Amino acid sequence: MNDLQYYTEYFWQLPTLVKVVWFISGVLFVVILALIGYLKFLRSHLRGNEKILMKYQKEYEENLINYLYAGDDENEISEVQRALINKMKICVTDKFKRNIIMAHAIQKFYFETGLVNHALYKLKARKWDVIASGIKELTQFEVKEAHNEIVKYVKHPNREVRNEAQLYLVSLFQFKGLSFLDKLETPLSEWAQIQLLEILQKFDNQEIPNITPWLQSKNNSVVQFSLKLAKIYNQFDVKNILFKLLSHENKEIRIDTIQVLNYFQDTESKHFLKPNFINSSLEEQIEFFKLLETIADKEDEAFILENVAHHNFEIKLSVLKILKAINVEKFNEVKLEATDVQVVEIVKFIETN
Amino acid sequence: MDSSTVRIILLIIHLLFFIYAFTVVVSYMFLAVISSIETREYLKRNSFVNYSEILSSTVSPSISIIAPAYNESLNIIENVRSLLSSHYVNYDVIIVNDGSKDDSLEKLIEAYDLIEVNYLINNQVKTKPLRRGVFKSTNPAFEKLIVVDKQNGGKADALNCGLNISKSDYVACIDVDCLLLEDALQKMIKPFLEVTDLKVIASGGVIRIANSCIIKEGKLMDVNLPSKFIEVAQILEYLRSFLLGRMAWSRLNGLLVISGAFGVFDKKIALEVGGYDTNTVGEDMEIIVRMRRYMEEKGEKYKVAYIPDPLCWTEAPDNYKILISQRNRWTRGTIEVLKLHRKIGFNPKYKLLGMLSYPYWFFYERLAPVIEVIGILYFLILIALQNVKWDYAFAFFLLAYLFSVTFTIIAIFSEEFSFHQYKKKGTGFKLLFVTLLEPFVLHPFILYAAIRGNIDYYFNKKLKWGEMTRKGLSKT
Repeated sequence: MNDLQYYTEYFWQLPTLVKVVWFISGVLFVVILALIGYLKFLRSHLRGNEKILMKYQKEYEENLINYLYAGDDENEISEVQRALINKMKICVTDKFKRNIIMAHAIQKFYFETGLVNHALYKLKARKWDVIASGIKELTQFEVKEAHNEIVKYVKHPNREVRNEAQLYLVSLFQFKGLSFLDKLETPLSEWAQIQLLEILQKFDNQEIPNITPWLQSKNNSVVQFSLKLAKIYNQFDVKNILFKLLSHENKEIRIDTIQVLNYFQDTESKHFLKPNFINSSLEEQIEFFKLLETIADKEDEAFILENVAHHNFEIKLSVLKILKAINVEKFNEVKLEATDVQVVEIVKFIETN
Repeated sequence: MDSSTVRIILLIIHLLFFIYAFTVVVSYMFLAVISSIETREYLKRNSFVNYSEILSSTVSPSISIIAPAYNESLNIIENVRSLLSSHYVNYDVIIVNDGSKDDSLEKLIEAYDLIEVNYLINNQVKTKPLRRGVFKSTNPAFEKLIVVDKQNGGKADALNCGLNISKSDYVACIDVDCLLLEDALQKMIKPFLEVTDLKVIASGGVIRIANSCIIKEGKLMDVNLPSKFIEVAQILEYLRSFLLGRMAWSRLNGLLVISGAFGVFDKKIALEVGGYDTNTVGEDMEIIVRMRRYMEEKGEKYKVAYIPDPLCWTEAPDNYKILISQRNRWTRGTIEVLKLHRKIGFNPKYKLLGMLSYPYWFFYERLAPVIEVIGILYFLILIALQNVKWDYAFAFFLLAYLFSVTFTIIAIFSEEFSFHQYKKKGTGFKLLFVTLLEPFVLHPFILYAAIRGNIDYYFNKKLKWGEMTRKGLSKT
């Protein structure tokens, strides 16, 4: 007791700053003790959750397999299936168990157990991640009926929500689902474009709608996405629009367009590109020469020779490759006259490959 | 000087120490809060991502993994196998044998059926010349592998050689002894592809310590906590640095360093700035600062992204000699980079980079060990003069210790809430035990290494990279 009194008196006679420091230290000490206790609880909880997760995953997998094999008609629910549905309905009320089932469910089962209502309810949430997870579920379980609700989210300010809504439309409505591009004002990221293209390529029906309006979109990312569609689905018909895009104000679009024309091996395109060559960016010039590698002929020789001394390595490489293809004698002349180290190296490389 | 003048000078010194310590604590707390917000958002955002869609896509961007190797004969075969096991579709692996004196190249030739090929290199960055040339495999299973044998020029020079060789849009620069998880590339490339309102110039990954983990055939099979104190203490350091520090700086878009062990770069920009600087031992930090500076000077909006997932695992020093050598090099690297780019410091033209990132690194990374040592010396002088107010001293020591412990525990929580890698029973206790002792056991060595780094920087200019003796990940 005397000790306590001594320390109390000692504390109160300390300068204010030291008192504050001791007070904060005391608080930190209590915080550390609390955190240590909580850490122990948290780690046990996480380990426990993993065990439960494995147990329920196994159990639900078995139930689902039984469910799938118990049905004799696709449209009818058998007695055994009904019993399993009732069992699972009880589990659905538990959020943790619900999450486990979701990974394994099938559409009919999804509807019957009422899980679909949980997903639809999520669409009305205020938090973006809840909305996005709702859309994702509805996509996984192919709930086409939610179309009118989900289409509203295509222009959602949150990128993930937008992305999920777009994936829903394309996953369930295939090429028709791309109609959201007609009025899309927000940018379609490269990541989203890749995802959409991958989904589209999985369908048996590869009949692509008219991409002309999208190639003329004011949204640059929509134009870039349409260019990818044009290339993947060999849309030669849009060639004239591609020529127009060669003078688009956006450099990336101009470059992408040259790449598509290169893929089409379009001989006409050089007539559009040559006159503007000097004014175009270096990247465009490089792409143009890559295009010429596939389409150049004798009549391009003068233009090719003009660029033998181009400062860019890739253009030099293209120039010499083309020259060798269209006029070997001229190529040999350049080879003999070459003083530029890069040209010498490139010539050596071309000759040995 | 009369006694009142001395007293005023002492008071000013005390005040400066106090302000420094107070701002350090406040900045750490601020970073912890920011990082927790960013981690939560990252985990939420990525819970919707289906990475498998980009794996098989023909339009996914190409990535070159560039891995410099110097005398890595012991583990090179297994390390390359690990790099070749990525699930990403559009990538290649460029191993740059940087003038190794051992039989690394011969081992690679034999294991991967390599033959010398005629390979045209666009030398956009000047490097040391090739030694035996460029090799590719005759076995289609290893078609993604390119091995370059060049004269020794150091890590930065080897990375530059890889940049010249690469034909991809993006390059992943990695230490050859690191173990990459199969989904590492798609996670690292995502920021480059998903951000539309600015340009992502680089993305950095978390480095995890693989000591004691079970690794078979280049794959991480089981995560274990090492038994040695020094290794566990480094795990805590890495958790603090990567999960709290860098995560927060990423949110603020002020990240000044991407670990040299694993980072992905926009190749075009990396080449435009001239590649890696071969005159510094802090080449990983230097290239990021230079790329950021370049973007600021061009007036383009940009970002250095950061991925907190545990994607890259590496072997950490398991003895104090190697640890001191490593930290010595890190210190010299930091000093060199900050000195080289001193123009951006406190320069409003460089916005956040000049007014926040640079000053933070200067005061709280560059100067921290120096100020700490000055503080210790000053304290010793006060003891000698019998002028220590022990009430103050003890209270402040205790507070500093408790704060450091609290901060480390927060880092452990961050790990548990996000990636929960150390699942086994008893590891939590071990981590806490080391947390309590780390300030007394590991920190003095770190401080010593940093001071040695300062001394070596000013008085031993010839010193470059130290030796790092490796056991090999599968043997740890």
